Amino acid sequence: MGNIMSTSFAPECTEKKTKYDDCFNKWYTEKFLQGKSMENECVQLWDDYITCVNSALASHQIKPILDKARQDQPFTSEEIDSAIAPKK
Amino acid sequence: MKLFESSHDFHYPWDQVTAANWQKYPNELSSHVVSVDILNRYIDPATNVLRTERLIGCKQPIPKWLSMLVGGQEYSYVREISEIDLSTKTLVMKSTNLTMNHLLQVNETVTYRPDHELPNSRTHFTQKAEITAFASFSRVCDKIEEWSVERFGQNANTGKQAFESVLKTLTAKWEESGVFVVDIGTSLLNDLNHVTDKTSTVLAEVSKLGNVFKDKE
Repeated sequence: MGNIMSTSFAPECTEKKTKYDDCFNKWYTEKFLQGKSMENECVQLWDDYITCVNSALASHQIKPILDKARQDQPFTSEEIDSAIAPKK
Repeated sequence: MKLFESSHDFHYPWDQVTAANWQKYPNELSSHVVSVDILNRYIDPATNVLRTERLIGCKQPIPKWLSMLVGGQEYSYVREISEIDLSTKTLVMKSTNLTMNHLLQVNETVTYRPDHELPNSRTHFTQKAEITAFASFSRVCDKIEEWSVERFGQNANTGKQAFESVLKTLTAKWEESGVFVVDIGTSLLNDLNHVTDKTSTVLAEVSKLGNVFKDKE
């Protein structure tokens, strides 16, 4: 089934996604978690990937339901924080 | 609305757990998850919090009767927001379904934090899912909600065991290489079958609700 790990909902974006994921996972484990880098080092790969995804979100008509969810359940940083508020 | 709650301790350091968390979907055995896309990702310069928005795509094996209710979409989608705060060592994920939400809304919150007693070697996991069914008859709603809570519990148990296995494999690799691995092998992907957040599973299995409706008709 090929690379099943890095499949995009839009087949035409999968290769770009795989490249970006590889870059991100390396950065996350080797830099971010070690506190060595707070800069996104995969900018070019990200730009290629997200351009593809944004175009596909529109053509697959996912954009409207996505935007509605962003509005209805924004999951803001405040909401996130409240999930880890000290208990008792 | 019905609530499902669960917690668990993973005997692995928090940073390893978060690294494993990025690489779990999709895989051969959890075939209902067919895609994962990152929609937004940035680090807040003030707090250094890494915030990620993802779109998780699931196959929808819908029977014909249900297809009429939900509009016959082939895929269902889940939106997930995660925030990782290195300074407090917390990973929080919130997710909700984008499709079929006129029938069933699942809002899930998952947290991973270092254990109080053994912060360097143990990670505390919590999971909370609010499940709300919208159908015409309240008794049917009750049945759907009960069924969903039951499925959540079943999946969560196997999910924890499977994630333990994933962490064990990853740790062995990390110890061998001295760094976190980037590439996870096929055998590990199989272990990732049952993961700890189950919104997508519940949605994919909503087809089984057919039995509920048949019982009532």
